[in-house]
Amino acid sequence: MLGLNQHRLDQLTELMTEHRWDVLLLYGHAWRKDFFRCLVNVNFSGPYAAAALCSGVTYALVSHPWDVDLVAPAVNGDTTCARDFAAGLRELAEVLKLAHEQVGRDYVSVAVAGLELMEARFLHALRDALGATPVSATAQVEELRSVKSPDEIACLKRAAHLADLGYQRFAEVIEPGMAEFELVAEVESFLKSNGAEDNFMLIASGGTEVTGMKPPTERRFQIGDSVTTELTPQIDGYYAQICRTLVLGEPNPQQREAFSIFSEARQAAEDLLKPGVDIADVARVQNDVFRKFGYGEYTGSKYTRVRGHNLGLHPDESPYVLEDVHYTVKKDMVVIAHPNTYLPLSGYMVYGDTLLVTENGCTGLNRAERKLFQK
Amino acid sequence: MKRGLITWHKDELPPQAFDTRLAAARRVLSERDLPALVVYSDVWRSNQGRYFSNFMPYWNRALLVIPSEDKPVLLCSLSPRVYPWIKSVTILEEIKPSPNLAQRVFEMATEKGWTKIGVLDEGSLPYDLYSQLHAGDLEVLDVPASRIRPCADEWELAMCARAEKLAREILAEEMPQAPGLIDHEFVGRLERKFRRAGAEDLILLIANPGTPAPPTGAILRQDFAVAVALEYRGHWVSIAPDGTAHNCLSPAGAEFL
Repeated sequence: MLGLNQHRLDQLTELMTEHRWDVLLLYGHAWRKDFFRCLVNVNFSGPYAAAALCSGVTYALVSHPWDVDLVAPAVNGDTTCARDFAAGLRELAEVLKLAHEQVGRDYVSVAVAGLELMEARFLHALRDALGATPVSATAQVEELRSVKSPDEIACLKRAAHLADLGYQRFAEVIEPGMAEFELVAEVESFLKSNGAEDNFMLIASGGTEVTGMKPPTERRFQIGDSVTTELTPQIDGYYAQICRTLVLGEPNPQQREAFSIFSEARQAAEDLLKPGVDIADVARVQNDVFRKFGYGEYTGSKYTRVRGHNLGLHPDESPYVLEDVHYTVKKDMVVIAHPNTYLPLSGYMVYGDTLLVTENGCTGLNRAERKLFQK
Repeated sequence: MKRGLITWHKDELPPQAFDTRLAAARRVLSERDLPALVVYSDVWRSNQGRYFSNFMPYWNRALLVIPSEDKPVLLCSLSPRVYPWIKSVTILEEIKPSPNLAQRVFEMATEKGWTKIGVLDEGSLPYDLYSQLHAGDLEVLDVPASRIRPCADEWELAMCARAEKLAREILAEEMPQAPGLIDHEFVGRLERKFRRAGAEDLILLIANPGTPAPPTGAILRQDFAVAVALEYRGHWVSIAPDGTAHNCLSPAGAEFL
């Protein structure tokens, strides 16, 4: 899966023809490598990289010399390195203009996937060199990325398996007296030892005073704590996620009651998720469960962010699972549906699995037990 | 990724450091006749906002607004549910929920009667935010970071020295035992040690030997080397494979210099 994604190259070439783009540039920086990696799946060190598709040739620009050896074998055009990335983009624009002049064109239309993330000075450099402002290809490329190829699904399955193992490790090592950040250190170590490129992880611990997850603190776990986490390991570029809640000691009746509501909400989402469904309804059926039990107010933005999201080369891809986001679900999308929210019964609670949309429904990619964990 | 310990120990980084930095920003505002300075922050480009307030957004975006004659205000896209935590690890007392950052800047400017603002290194803003800020009636002027922080201050140097010491100590402990291990396993060991020692973020590249690169599952040779970029409480240091250390004080922070 690492290297040039031929399937994506074919898709992007078709997209360029459809939109009459002469050049498609895929921009990435250290935090958002996903647009670059959707074509050139290389874990660059950065801070910046760009791939440019033009007349069947893929060029690459990196900002650190160490990245040249990684990226060059994956593209069929030149790979150049520029510490001054704006200057590098200007030089790349000249190369692209020249390539077009050779085929009898004097105007180059350029689209950028990730344009919104690009530092303004970089876009200005491109604009000045090209004599025209590039247009955004972000939405179109995101749409292509939302449906996964068999190779991408294979990566996501491996990432989901590692998420399961990571959670198993989490549940094994947690103990009263341990600090949140020490637990995260153990899990990070485990995931990296087992081949994760990266991991997005949030955590929270405590009781009904806990309203959301965040990075780990120095707080030490106590008996009775509800400990929530979302683990999102990355394998060959692709993130899969698991959300689970663990109680230290015997769960109290309120924690059990809360979990039963979350369980019903998660199941409602999985029962509905299939091709042709509006993603808004996947959020609605989760929220309806909370409404049924009198907790409707805890389904809004005051207490929760989203009821799930797409997964892939970014841990939080579009579309978001929200009642006001309308998007028709397609086969081979990989989504997490998680009814994570605050409830006065238990404090913040999380529960969800990575789901692959199949022909007639969906299948969970995680194998971790579906239960309220306790230790 | 930012998932280590984000905290503020005032014995390491006293409030006086932030007072001094904010005063420097206000001096430049006064010289430029600007009523406020806007500082962009996101999960990756957090270092400028961190410098003035100790704020680090583990997710999403924020703008730190430093008025010339008032306390700084955070315009934050994160949920108000985490504002108590933000206040506990920063100098910030006022945080305004801001799903649309540019809109909130305009509202604040109207409320305060500002007709222009300075933006720290505005060319480094993400293009969508840059465009939105320039689409309003507010005059937006670039304020180069180098005008306010021309060189590292004593607190930055002390924190970077602490980070470097931490990195060197852990590498000295772990490197001799590494040959023969799979690179992933070695990276896992380092992650554990660094994170338990309080590392906030960590990037590890392996040269086995050759160009440093992410681990690939290879067995480490006797002559392998490692490149480390470590963020300790908002301060980055990198150790190159040859052992050279660099304080990474650029906005992006985690650059191997």
